[in-house]
Amino acid sequence: MTALDTGVPKAAPFTRLLAAEVRWVLRRPRTLVMLGLFALIPVLIAIGVRVADRQAGPGRGLIGAVAGNGLVLPVAAMTVALGLLLPLAVAMAAADAIAGEAAAGTLRGLLLAPVGRLRLVVVKASGVLVVAAAAVLALAVVGVLAGLLVVGGPPGQLVTLSGSTIGTTEALGRVTLVALWTVGQLAAVGAVALAVSAFTEHPLVVLAAVLGGLIIFGVLGAIPALDWLQPVLLTSGWTAGVDALRDPMPLDGLADATLRALWYLAAGAAVVVLRMLRRDA
Amino acid sequence: MVQAEGMAGRRNRGRSVAAGVVTTIAVGLGLLVSTGAAGAQPQLPPIAPEELVRSVLSAPNPGPFNGTVELQNGLGLPALPELPQAGNGTSTARIWSGGEDRGRVALPTDSGERTLVSDGTTFWAWNSADRTVVRRPIDQAARQEDRPADPTAAATRAIEQLRATSTVAVDGTAEVAGRDAYELVLTPAPTERTLLREVRVAVDAEKRMPLRLTVLSTGSPDPALRVGFTELTFGPQDPALFTFTPPPGATVTDAPARGPQEGPERTTVGDGWDRVVIARRPADATTTPSPDAPDLSSVGSPVSGPWGSGRLITSTVGTAIVTDDGRLAAGAVPEQVVTEALSR
Repeated sequence: MTALDTGVPKAAPFTRLLAAEVRWVLRRPRTLVMLGLFALIPVLIAIGVRVADRQAGPGRGLIGAVAGNGLVLPVAAMTVALGLLLPLAVAMAAADAIAGEAAAGTLRGLLLAPVGRLRLVVVKASGVLVVAAAAVLALAVVGVLAGLLVVGGPPGQLVTLSGSTIGTTEALGRVTLVALWTVGQLAAVGAVALAVSAFTEHPLVVLAAVLGGLIIFGVLGAIPALDWLQPVLLTSGWTAGVDALRDPMPLDGLADATLRALWYLAAGAAVVVLRMLRRDA
Repeated sequence: MVQAEGMAGRRNRGRSVAAGVVTTIAVGLGLLVSTGAAGAQPQLPPIAPEELVRSVLSAPNPGPFNGTVELQNGLGLPALPELPQAGNGTSTARIWSGGEDRGRVALPTDSGERTLVSDGTTFWAWNSADRTVVRRPIDQAARQEDRPADPTAAATRAIEQLRATSTVAVDGTAEVAGRDAYELVLTPAPTERTLLREVRVAVDAEKRMPLRLTVLSTGSPDPALRVGFTELTFGPQDPALFTFTPPPGATVTDAPARGPQEGPERTTVGDGWDRVVIARRPADATTTPSPDAPDLSSVGSPVSGPWGSGRLITSTVGTAIVTDDGRLAAGAVPEQVVTEALSR
């Protein structure tokens, strides 16, 4: 008699579970449409900057800094999208991951399946992280291409906000750093969204909670009398991506925001795990 | 049975919610604690205030350093479009000093930066918003003249002048940017008609370099102005920081060198804390204001008196009146003292 015949099903390998989840997440039409839209953002900014540049000189603000300086585009696109669009995409993935399954009645099957609850959470979280990374990757890659091909700029150079020039290799390195940092911030949003997702059967509640939370954080961050709240608000460090365009590059802002994101990630993860371990099938 | 299961499920969910809330509160507290560390008061040998002032005024060059300076502005001035740092709020600057007149200052905003670089012979000012560079040669001779020949004698003179109108004291120690510092406190004598209550200067115990300046005005417990290092590291700096090459696409304009005798003619009325400085704009400058002076024409409220009419600009630490005939009177005093000085 072998172990297979005892009637206890053998646990599926973890990598297979992970691959299945990622495939399932990435094959969803809404995910693909969303990624396509994210790829469109840098292209639209590039065309807008190009058209505006022909009419007048460089505009103000971060988008204005893109004019004639194409390699700024990916950083600008990621910074602009981090404000609302990227968290929205992550919230959507997190809403589908647990609340969506609960609404469709398929979560029961997953909870009854011979897969550890912790593994299930890790697999679901990985699916959300993959969506976040794919969206940021689309912004960064299309941003670099659109920046070089549509906006153009000093050949092989990036003019920093500090007025110095850096080479293409270093510029691409900085774009990569901002992309990784952005994924880190989105991981925090995703963890909190998953926590909400674990408590509801309605995916819309997750979207409403995340967007509402972002708006409330934005309002709280804009009130001068509540300055002391700034270190606690996840969104208050979200302009730090721009620091990658300064020379020498200050790392404090990026590091502070990452530390803050880790706290949110830990809180969200703890709540998800606790809830899923105790949840009835 | 189904009902009982539902009850158990609800209780279970309630417990999870409670656990979640506890975790979130714990994390929130952790965030607050990890970011708000209080500065300790270091133990330093006692020092007489005169000795401290003398050592600051005659201290040698502190050598190359880099650091971050934070400005907490509570002056109550309107934010100017060209100078957002003038308005109330906190702004930071990154500073590098290479010694020998070489330095770099970066003033970051959310989506841009102003960079000021001095390479020893030329001063560069870069503004990322419109990609302009202003270039100005540094007048070495004028710089040499500014330095007193005998720092110790100059320090003694300065202390005598301070003594006449203020109380100078050392009020304990402080830790600024991780460095031990003495707190030097200047208080105006009771006869001084000033808006200022106290000026505190934190002086580095080792290098005798001012690390933080706090200005307190009458009628407010919060500082009107606080500017000081939040990070400071002494040591050799990358020489590349003290050079500037205008990037491609930038507009470079040349500004004339600033001589010691140029600029508006000044007269002072009174001395000490209630001194009022009256400057008269040169006749030719009334039509074309200097490009680096902020435009003040939209600031302030109209005011008139026996001295004429003009616009009154008030802040928590001072008053300024720009008259219609091109005079500017300003001081750390109430409005009455400024108008008296103008009428004289």
